[in-house]
Amino acid sequence: MREVMRPLARKLFQALLLVVGVTLISFLLMVWFGPDQTYTLIGKNATTEQIAEVRHQLGYDDPFLLRYGEYLLELVTLDLGVSNASGESVRTLLARTVPISLVLMIPGFVLGNGVGIALGLASAHRRGRRSDRLITALSVTGMSISFLVVLIAFQVLFSTPYGLDLFPVRGWRVSGWTSYLHYVTVPTLALLFVTFGYNTRFYRALFIEEIGRDHIRAARALGASESVILWKHVLKNSMVPIITRIMFSIPLVVISGSLLIESYFGIPGIGQATFEAITSGDQPVLKAVVGLTAVAFVAIQFLTELLCRRLDPRLG
Amino acid sequence: MGTRRTWAHLKGDRAGLVGLLIVLFFLGVAATVWLGWLGQGWSEASGGRWLTPNADHWFGTNLLGQDIFARSVYSVRTAFEIGLVVALVSTALGAGIGALAGWYADSWIDGSVMWLKGVLDAIPFYLFVAAIAYALQGQWWAMHLAMIATFWTTTARLVRAEAMKLRSHDYVRAAQAMGLTDMRIIWRHVLPNTVHILLVQATIAFVAAIKTEVILSFLGIGVQDGVSWGLMLAESTQEVLAGHFANFIAASAMLFLLVLGFNLLSDAMQDALDPRGGGA
Amino acid sequence: MSRRGGVSLLWIGLAMAAAMWMTACSDSSQDDPVGDQRLVYRHALDGAPRSLDPAQASNVYAKILAVNLYDTLYRYKYLARPYQLTPNLAEGMPQVSADGLIYTIRIKPGALFIDDPSFPGGKGRAVAASDFVYSIKRHFDPETRAQGAWLWQERIVGLDQWQKDGADYDQEVPGLRALDDRTLQIQLISPFPQLAHTLAQGFSAVVPREAVEHYGREFAINPVGSGPYRLERFNSSGAVLEKNERFRQHPLSLEAEGYDPASQARLGLNALDGRVPPFMDRIEVPFIAEDAARWNAFIAGEVDFIKAPVTQFDRILASRNPPTLSEELSQRYNLAANLESGFVHTDFNMDDPAIGYHPDPDQASRNKALRCAIVNAFDWDQRNEVFYYGIGRAFSGIIPPTAPEFDAAQSRLAPQRDIAGARKLLREAGWNPRNTPVLEYGFPSSVTERQMFEQFRSFMADIGYPPDKVRPLTFATYGDYARAYLNREVMLTTTGWTMDYPDAENTMQLFYGANASPGSNSANYVNPEFDRLYRASATMPPSPMRTSIYRSMNRIVMEDCATISGISRTLILLWNRELAMLPDRSFVGGFFFRFVAPGVGESSLRGESSD
Repeated sequence: MREVMRPLARKLFQALLLVVGVTLISFLLMVWFGPDQTYTLIGKNATTEQIAEVRHQLGYDDPFLLRYGEYLLELVTLDLGVSNASGESVRTLLARTVPISLVLMIPGFVLGNGVGIALGLASAHRRGRRSDRLITALSVTGMSISFLVVLIAFQVLFSTPYGLDLFPVRGWRVSGWTSYLHYVTVPTLALLFVTFGYNTRFYRALFIEEIGRDHIRAARALGASESVILWKHVLKNSMVPIITRIMFSIPLVVISGSLLIESYFGIPGIGQATFEAITSGDQPVLKAVVGLTAVAFVAIQFLTELLCRRLDPRLG
Repeated sequence: MGTRRTWAHLKGDRAGLVGLLIVLFFLGVAATVWLGWLGQGWSEASGGRWLTPNADHWFGTNLLGQDIFARSVYSVRTAFEIGLVVALVSTALGAGIGALAGWYADSWIDGSVMWLKGVLDAIPFYLFVAAIAYALQGQWWAMHLAMIATFWTTTARLVRAEAMKLRSHDYVRAAQAMGLTDMRIIWRHVLPNTVHILLVQATIAFVAAIKTEVILSFLGIGVQDGVSWGLMLAESTQEVLAGHFANFIAASAMLFLLVLGFNLLSDAMQDALDPRGGGA
Repeated sequence: MSRRGGVSLLWIGLAMAAAMWMTACSDSSQDDPVGDQRLVYRHALDGAPRSLDPAQASNVYAKILAVNLYDTLYRYKYLARPYQLTPNLAEGMPQVSADGLIYTIRIKPGALFIDDPSFPGGKGRAVAASDFVYSIKRHFDPETRAQGAWLWQERIVGLDQWQKDGADYDQEVPGLRALDDRTLQIQLISPFPQLAHTLAQGFSAVVPREAVEHYGREFAINPVGSGPYRLERFNSSGAVLEKNERFRQHPLSLEAEGYDPASQARLGLNALDGRVPPFMDRIEVPFIAEDAARWNAFIAGEVDFIKAPVTQFDRILASRNPPTLSEELSQRYNLAANLESGFVHTDFNMDDPAIGYHPDPDQASRNKALRCAIVNAFDWDQRNEVFYYGIGRAFSGIIPPTAPEFDAAQSRLAPQRDIAGARKLLREAGWNPRNTPVLEYGFPSSVTERQMFEQFRSFMADIGYPPDKVRPLTFATYGDYARAYLNREVMLTTTGWTMDYPDAENTMQLFYGANASPGSNSANYVNPEFDRLYRASATMPPSPMRTSIYRSMNRIVMEDCATISGISRTLILLWNRELAMLPDRSFVGGFFFRFVAPGVGESSLRGESSD
């Protein structure tokens, strides 16, 4: 029993250290040296005393350790405070925006990985042949196009009279499946386009390595059919890296990806809320977003490892 | 894996050669800008608003009547400056830290490097970069620093693994036995053996830097003084819906070409330099 | 760690569940066509209010909502131009003592706060004079984080002292008292002729103490007022207001609102005379900051009103001067060209010895020559043409055209650019490309601000100022920019000033020495003669004499070349022709919502007319 517990405790300790590090660095950058909202909260013709008063109200004049400690406490108790900008409680804000980001990003995320796996498998299977070369060329091309360029181009192509003019230019007025599809299509296509190159390349390399392994060769020598080899052996044995990649990209896709998509398309999700918090210096919101993402990331890392151990005893 | 063999391999890789040519072409363009031959009039409002391409303005003009050709050409220089600084510094940093961590694997040095890497990986990229840019109010190098601070980790991971392998090699042990200091061994024997990693990582960092610049400039925290493809694209987001595409087409086409060139080159180098048999 | 991991997993789980719930929930209520005949007005705003607390109603969006959710003592007449005050919650205009120091105001009977759990029994009580006293005191309570205190600072007897004594609401302020439930008395330290205007600001809206104390900081999103509407829903994407059924009954009198049949007959307001507002049952206010999205929503008929984006002016306008609506759009929409009640100007930081005041008189005069050359080099026609579609109004000075004291004769309509004059000034003062100082032009990072900077740089290049000596000083957020210029760290500060009331005193104070940063005098301009005139005019009620003082002050600032000023933008407001209304983004602001009504016979008219 002790043999099992020791590495687990070690992992937990490491995860804890990671959380401390992430919160410390993000606190330092986004709060301590971060934007100062004082000057957007004062009235016209404010006096120096009034400015000092607002600074005090916002807690900017408290010592570092006190503010950092308060931040940790807020994260632990999930008592995230109230947005300085709107007066809305941060929990309400998260509950309002996170679901929008999820329904916005999930289709593109799932499709992106699905297409990546399918193309990667096809490419790896026909390695060196024409279809492999075509897929490889396509993914290099895809990787070479900037996310922003894709957003602008897709907006023009799909949503303006200069193109197909089928979907709304911006915004998110979703009330039901029709309007959902109406608004989610262009962002999904953009996300798919941007990620397919990276995903395909990653999965292709992964599958090529797997196909080259001895046990696949052995299976082939034993006369297993190609589809059995691909599905049963290659894909199954690649589950650990696939899961790792997918799990690890969840928090990053939700924040980083949606930050750009949402601020470009004007969608009121967590990405846009974060961006607005950045540009207005709304620290309670920033603190919550960064803190929770970091904690989620570390937790996912930890869980992924547990999951992978179960899937692949070799790692244990 | 001699230089000659690598070159021979590279010569046989058509895509890689195309990539190399593209990169060299852009480098040449950047040089003409550095030398003051091209793109110098990028900030002059020399024409009417939103002119279509003509003999005086090959790519047309923008809202202020500035020449888009001059702006997109000058941006090549901006891209190379950002790409080179970020690629060189982040690769060097990654190499140094990675080599130290690998050499002293399982010591506190390694532990703290891995911890730092884990921490940096856990913060969403754009948030982190934005935070650095804000913390360093208005400094032109804030963007560079932000990218360097995140890009070194991959190089460090790869170099660390290589250094751990090299540590047990005979000739390294021999060097140790001769009483050479750790630093000297790392410098003389470990780092030179990671050049294949560093070259590839530098091209990858270069590409990532100019792609990130575009996003950061769009978000208002990228290039502060001057012109760049990112600033041109940011400008274009306000124009395309009104039917003015010159900024968008010029900036995105050049950005795409340069990134494609680097991607092809980087792939070819990866194959050519791969010690495990020079690609298949 | 395991607990934290659990917590965050739980969090994700909850979010997922919420996502499912949200889609499911909105499915069930999907596109409910509001089967009844309720009247809905949908007013798109191009930005979002920061807070719904009147004490924080500092931006135009917050003001628009505040005056609908809450009551103010005064408001501006719906149709009168130039703008005129009229009683709102007050029964009449204030009775002012002969020395101009004591204001007595009666409030209308029958005003009620809306029902809210913060009241005993949840029932909204009557609005009393003491509520007004409380609402003004709040601005002087640091806990409120209020932004309107400057309106009454050092004006009302005992109010500043009340703040110093610890802002105890049970302590009475001698100059701000409720004589009885319906009578209010304000005692001033010195005459303040603009006082009645300050009582028409969103800041002065009446809030109940019970609700403030009940909701705490979240009072900002739980408004409890006595205005014509109450809040149904509010988030970052919009607000929904419902008619306050208990709003005091006060019929609309077109005549009293300053109706001008000659120019306003086309609005279709006649039928409304004598009817009791508010006319609409529900007002939806989506916040759509993106130009393209706002325009699309309007064209698709999803909203009834927008401030038109400049990028669409080509399509919207048939002519520029005066702006008229294109044939295509005039079938469905009405247009109002609304000159903003404010202006954009670029101030020199006079505190900076490189460009402003200098202890050495010789250098000081060379600096002045440099500033004047820059002012002369600025091309307002180009600025107007490129960024405001040529329909803004450039003027020379600090009294914008919407101010009653504006002098069209003195301020040539567009300040003329004078390159030769600018070059001459530079030459005579001994400036050349080598010795001119580096100009640092500050702006919060955005595409348009950067383009304006680049245009400024090209203007300067025209007088031989080396482009590498005109540098951007960028800030990632507006707050950081404000911090820098309020701390006098920015050499050239571009800001827009929105007038609080139609009285040029409000722009004169921008250059009053005592208001230097962190006050609103961001030029840090100090001129003893200007300050003397400002103090002399501050206590004067409007009069031709005061106007002439303002105009001399205007000249003084311009002769000192302390600012490059300025331009008032023309906003193009568009609305659905089927509505009888006259929108306004200036002093009337949100006060007109209550008068918006469905047009009578408009739809049949539409079929026949071919204008």
